[in-house]
Amino acid sequence: MAIKVFFSILLLIIVQSCRQENHVRTYRLPKPEKSSQKQKIETPTSGFSWEKPENWIPSAGSNMRLASFDVPFSDAKGDLSLIKLSGTGGDLESNINRWRGQLGLASQSLSEMKKNITTKEGKLGEYQLIKLFNNQSNSAFLCAIMPVGSQTLFVKLSGGLTGIQESETDFISFCSSIDFLE
Amino acid sequence: MNKIANFFKHPKIFVITIIWMMVLVVLGTIEQKHSGLFAVQERYFSSWVIWFSLFPMPGGRLTLIIMLINLSFFFFNKSIWKLKKLGIVILHLGGILLLIGGGLTAMFSSEGNMVIEEGDKSNHIEDYHYMELAIINTSSAEFDAYTIFDQPLLIKNNILTHENLNFEIEILNYLENCEPDKRTSSPAIQYKGMLKNFMLKELKPEKEDNWNRPGIIYKISNSGTSTDGMYGIFLGQPVVQTISVNDNNYTIVLRRKRTYLPFSIGLIDFKKILHPGTDIPKSYSSDIILTENRAVRKILIQMNKPLRHKGYTFFQSSFIEGPDGETTVLAVVKNYGRLFPYISSIIMCVGLLFHMFQKLPDLFRKSREKVAT
Repeated sequence: MAIKVFFSILLLIIVQSCRQENHVRTYRLPKPEKSSQKQKIETPTSGFSWEKPENWIPSAGSNMRLASFDVPFSDAKGDLSLIKLSGTGGDLESNINRWRGQLGLASQSLSEMKKNITTKEGKLGEYQLIKLFNNQSNSAFLCAIMPVGSQTLFVKLSGGLTGIQESETDFISFCSSIDFLE
Repeated sequence: MNKIANFFKHPKIFVITIIWMMVLVVLGTIEQKHSGLFAVQERYFSSWVIWFSLFPMPGGRLTLIIMLINLSFFFFNKSIWKLKKLGIVILHLGGILLLIGGGLTAMFSSEGNMVIEEGDKSNHIEDYHYMELAIINTSSAEFDAYTIFDQPLLIKNNILTHENLNFEIEILNYLENCEPDKRTSSPAIQYKGMLKNFMLKELKPEKEDNWNRPGIIYKISNSGTSTDGMYGIFLGQPVVQTISVNDNNYTIVLRRKRTYLPFSIGLIDFKKILHPGTDIPKSYSSDIILTENRAVRKILIQMNKPLRHKGYTFFQSSFIEGPDGETTVLAVVKNYGRLFPYISSIIMCVGLLFHMFQKLPDLFRKSREKVAT
């Protein structure tokens, strides 16, 4: 008797786990909330100087940023941020893949990214310029990563494809002009 | 009935199955180098049948079920229920519990990631390996109605229907790994959505399963509208596919299989401690808020101190750090068979000890007789 009960339960579990209806589910969820302003805990301390194009307008940004600018484009405006992190702030590959993720692009290996990375020379030494475009969503980033001693500066300009291409020269000039405050 | 019972309880079955499992472990270990851990687990240990070219052989799941049946027939055999065989009875009980625990884990456990940015919260985990096709009816102002088709249904030529949907979806192809490729020529008239501008190019699957980007080519039909046509979708598609059928708006997303939790976790702060003078993390932790039925609890999850709640275990697994803030990655496991290996191991140890102490007098007697002769 005991063995019959045991195998009946075993068979029931196996059959239950194989039922195809388990692979279709329905449920209702409330509409996703609009993203709220996130808390930033770091307090910036500047100590750098830079030269910016006249038409860039300082904006509120967030506590984490050393500087924020609204960058006017011919068709809209972009957002530029300057941020300082201690250490390297993560390796190049993970930083670029994070930005790619923000643009809705799939991750790439470092060798695949190489074509989007160029090295530039600024007042603080060499830095890397990264261009990321998503043609499908008409969004793009221009980013610069500058190692400064035991810290790293990150500059990011986000906006539409046309605007980013228009502002590339200004962006490079701005990044190259960043220096220690005398 | 007796003949069947005598056949299934035969010790040779146990010996054969345990040897076959050893062979599978060796084969799986060798193939893991080339195919990756998940592919090997699916082929050798989670399968009912393994095909070696044209020859079918029992997979790990079938082998272990045969082993369980064999042990069970032996365990329920009246001839072993004697005091002098108590050790053997206990040992078999431990083995049966171990296999039942393994079965529960294989059938009902889930594991995945919960990724939360600082200041954000989440109430779902995403599976490491399995995908789902989510059809979301966004027409209501109050809620979104989800109809989810799991990965086993996303196979070529399968037609997906449901009473919540007033159209059919036929899976024309499921691509394990793919990338969108810009069309160079004008698209055929039946192509809709993303397929108007892109093709999905099939790529060789990566060794590590979660590096793959799956995609689906599917056909919508019987909607009675111009929405009918061929569509494409892939994991992480930046612009989601939306369609409209008879005043109902739908969003179609291919995503990692989601399991929603009866509570939510918000990340207040992620902390990282470095080894002095280096950029190498010594430890990292997540200061979180667990919210359940309006009750709020503040908890610290550390590398070796996971959070256990409602059967789920949250381990501090990884983190993402960048200029836009920090993000914690928690590995989440729910395993109904979690305690079985511990309990069954203890039972088997007790069984072996019993058996040893029961046999000791005989061993001493034989030893004395040997010395005497």
